[in-house]
Amino acid sequence: MIYERPRYLPGGDRYMLIEFGNEMNLELNFKAQGLAAAIQQSGNGGVIETAPCFASMLIHYDPDKIGFKDLTKEMQSLIDALGPSDDIELDSRLFYFPTCYLDPWTKAAVDDYCAKITKKKWDPEYVAELNGLADVQQLVRVHSGTEYWVAALGFWPGLPFMMALDPRCVLTAPKYNPPRTWTPQGTVGMGGASTAIYPVATPGGYQIFARIPVPIWDTEKRFPEFSQSICLFRPGDRVKFVPVGVEEFEHVEAQVKDGSYVYNVVDYQRFSVRNYQKWVKSLNKSDRF
Amino acid sequence: MAERIETMVPGNVWKVLVKPGDKVSPGDVLFILEVMKTEVPHTSEQGGTVKAVHIVEAQEGVDAGMLAVEID
Amino acid sequence: MFDVIQPGLETSIQDYPGRIGFWNQGFPPSGPMDSWSFRLANLLVGNPVGAAGLEAQYMGPTLKFSRDGVIAICGADMQAKLDGQPAPLWESIAVKSGQTLAMSAAKQGVRAYIAFAGGIDTPPWLGSRSTFHKAGVGGMEGHALKPGQSIPVAAGQGAAGAGTAGRKVKPEARPRFPSDKTWSIEVVAGPNDDWIDEAGQQRFLSSDWKLSAKSDRTGFRLDGPQWTFTEKAYKKAPENGAEPSNIIDHGYPLGAINLAGQTPIILVNDGPSMGGFINPYTVPSAAFWKLGQSKPGDIYRFKAISVDEAQAQRLALNAICQNSNIV
Repeated sequence: MIYERPRYLPGGDRYMLIEFGNEMNLELNFKAQGLAAAIQQSGNGGVIETAPCFASMLIHYDPDKIGFKDLTKEMQSLIDALGPSDDIELDSRLFYFPTCYLDPWTKAAVDDYCAKITKKKWDPEYVAELNGLADVQQLVRVHSGTEYWVAALGFWPGLPFMMALDPRCVLTAPKYNPPRTWTPQGTVGMGGASTAIYPVATPGGYQIFARIPVPIWDTEKRFPEFSQSICLFRPGDRVKFVPVGVEEFEHVEAQVKDGSYVYNVVDYQRFSVRNYQKWVKSLNKSDRF
Repeated sequence: MAERIETMVPGNVWKVLVKPGDKVSPGDVLFILEVMKTEVPHTSEQGGTVKAVHIVEAQEGVDAGMLAVEID
Repeated sequence: MFDVIQPGLETSIQDYPGRIGFWNQGFPPSGPMDSWSFRLANLLVGNPVGAAGLEAQYMGPTLKFSRDGVIAICGADMQAKLDGQPAPLWESIAVKSGQTLAMSAAKQGVRAYIAFAGGIDTPPWLGSRSTFHKAGVGGMEGHALKPGQSIPVAAGQGAAGAGTAGRKVKPEARPRFPSDKTWSIEVVAGPNDDWIDEAGQQRFLSSDWKLSAKSDRTGFRLDGPQWTFTEKAYKKAPENGAEPSNIIDHGYPLGAINLAGQTPIILVNDGPSMGGFINPYTVPSAAFWKLGQSKPGDIYRFKAISVDEAQAQRLALNAICQNSNIV
């Protein structure tokens, strides 16, 4: 549901969480990204920083400069001034990543969890079953069949949270309870309806079933894509996972190691919300690849 | 001379390397605690014969300052 | 300048308020968990309250000074000794080139802060010297101290009392640690308190919660009773996730009590910036020092306060961390 009026929720003495809705809807993310940009342009002295997410935005404010109630009023007037999300257009880079689905490394992490924490079904089998897919092969076709929209970065520096752009490829998966204590670097996983890539080996709760050999985080800035930042992604980027086998994965991994890998980035496209919504309406959402 | 080795930190008991009757030398690791995912080895300063061990492996939530091993 | 002879359990460079402005790329602020003790230590040596210093956890380091200077130790008592002689807490101390400061296991509290007149002078990273060692950023080469490292300290500033030994924090301005291992921790309801039913809210606020040994600067895990939920947690779009505490991924306030399934984890200085679990309550900034000084096994009892009360407590703590409380 998209809320008629956003909800303004307190987080302790210095944070505000603004909820635009409670569903995975690209429009809500555009609103969040739009508000973040508007706050920056307005030069609001009380806001220290913002962190947009799927359907919400976290604000870190200075209580010496502005109170919670006044901040609420200011945010509402900025949101009112944003206008309809259909008008939004954004430059959007597209990344292609070679991706090993049903890989041995994430399987080892799941096996380790089963041995040390609690038993569970192998993640791709679990996700396939939960979503009414025929088998794990169909999971690969469906998951890799869409571009993913980078809606937010967080949980770990540079970790992208992405939404499937093609509604025929939307899947859901609950998170681990309790979470895993580790996840291999480069793992591709799903939680709720979002897909994430783990930039380093962190704990995590997503269902995991694929891995990429390409770094998305680099403190050493070994590749030109990291010249501006140590995080590869920005919100508004898109990602396409290209299924490859273990051999190709290891070949690319070696290229990354010796520095000869060339990132596959398409950087001339402009994403139009209006065109996107029109395309979505033309599809039969219940079709599956 | 008797030596009393107490836990230096609160945490979980990761490994217990001695049992009563064992002979230990100065500097030998007697047991290892774990806190904040960091191992904290506990050693004997004087060496001798292990008289008593009051902790077990995989024991969770031990306090700091708890008597863990006694050496004669 | 000083050399690390022995690094202690996990000792790192931190500054206050930490790394700010990069939440939307996933960087937590890091910085000292007990900013009360940290700020007082800096004031004792004549530094601005935010200057970079060391945070020692559980077991402190052994450091050898290669230059004369003034230091101060505040927070947990790690029986610090300077060349074998006991060194006092809450007081500025003159150190000479060649002297050794040795700290051992914390007897009271958990985290000790060592400030150096002039401030630690490592290269800032994204605007802060604070260490986020899990991602390898800030601090000393991105991590906690290692044996053999030489840590640079800037020359003392010209502020009143800069680098003067023998200055003390007034006793009434020091944090007091409970002797019965029980802490009253303030919380503000929200953002997601409306996901917990009335009985669950009562249970949270009236129960004893034990701090688990599986706790560190990324999160403080609590053991205690079950959480029970309102209809909102069950009747939601499937993309929120199947468990009642699952929600569409959202930003996490620092100090949020994050409910991963049935496990509450207080998100602290190196914690995740966002994720897909609800945060029914948030620990406000003025109560963070209590988290920083509590040990696994300690008991937390949570006390609900309003946003206004939490902001007033923050102002009160800022007022304590002033030169007027240094004599």
